[in-house]
Amino acid sequence: MTASVTLPRAATQPLVSRRSARVLRGAAGVLLLLVAWQLSVPLVGLSPYFYPAPSDVVASFADLIRKGILPVYFADSMGRYFAGLAAGALLGVVFGVAIGLNRTVAVTLSPLLKFLFAIVEVAWIPIFVVWFGYGLKTILLALIYVVFFPVLYNTLLGVRTAPQILVNALRSLGATRWQVLRYAILPSALPGIITGLRVGAGFAFRGLVFAEIVAAKSGIGYLIFEGTQTQQTARTIVGMIVMGLTWLAIDLCYLRPLERATIQRWGLTVDAEQRT
Amino acid sequence: MRLPFSDAPSLRVPVTATLVVIAVLAAWWMAATVAADRKLAALGAVPADRGSYRIVLAFAPERFHQLRLQEAGRLVEVRERTVYMMDVTPAALRGIAGEYWVDGVASWDGR
Repeated sequence: MTASVTLPRAATQPLVSRRSARVLRGAAGVLLLLVAWQLSVPLVGLSPYFYPAPSDVVASFADLIRKGILPVYFADSMGRYFAGLAAGALLGVVFGVAIGLNRTVAVTLSPLLKFLFAIVEVAWIPIFVVWFGYGLKTILLALIYVVFFPVLYNTLLGVRTAPQILVNALRSLGATRWQVLRYAILPSALPGIITGLRVGAGFAFRGLVFAEIVAAKSGIGYLIFEGTQTQQTARTIVGMIVMGLTWLAIDLCYLRPLERATIQRWGLTVDAEQRT
Repeated sequence: MRLPFSDAPSLRVPVTATLVVIAVLAAWWMAATVAADRKLAALGAVPADRGSYRIVLAFAPERFHQLRLQEAGRLVEVRERTVYMMDVTPAALRGIAGEYWVDGVASWDGR
């Protein structure tokens, strides 16, 4: 006699079809929202300045592409974003490791860093404008500031929670300080660094919009601001949609795979989306 | 061809995405170069020195276009779809001609 086991339906369903079903459900939700939005426009009866229809937004998107505005603004924003993210992450890791490893550095810098952490980048941007004027320097500084703290604190956490037994084992085998850092502390801190990077990347995206609104003459943040200033609200909405889609793409193409390749690979966390 | 990280399935997506971005940028650059060559060929010989030009757009220029063009030279006047510019270097003219929203470039006597 053979025993038969019935697997749950979800387990037998191929992964691709489950993903497709999830994408389709998500697309259906977006489509429903767009239809409701379009239908509500004649009911609300306001001018496109106050309440543009999705068709106005699509027309505005095509117009921005035709006139070459959107590609240039998008490229400007992405250049600033990745430059700020890279510089902020690098500084965060360097300071996080230095503070985590050296007590004197920790005692000297901790109060100052805690004080600066409490001041949001929004408060710094006006003073950056005074010091560095409108433009790239101010935006980059704002982004570096935003990324620096989450990366620093998560790196610090990773360094301080590095297994002491590994550090001691390496030291007893005659490893140099660099070798202890390279083979025990940095690998232990990597999940923390990745977490900090992901948090910082999200913060930087929000910071970018604000910095561009205040201190730029180009970029998606500037487009959002300029749209309302010139009574082209549809352009503002195009900027918002581009921002949202860009973040989704960055998360999907870079941050999530990076997290999977590091943190989840070592069993430290589980992707929330896989559980749903 | 083996790509870096091609064995790690989780890093295949970032590597592919980066390659797609690079391909798009390369295609963009090539399209701009071809467009610049085509528009400058219609102009004839480009002087080695700074010159004055009429830049014809496909639409009435907005502030964005005026600011972009000001980076290339001295913007003198805007009449409907045409922007009159002075002190434009050959390199800057090539940059302007490469923009897809520029319909054409013509010499201008500066008057």
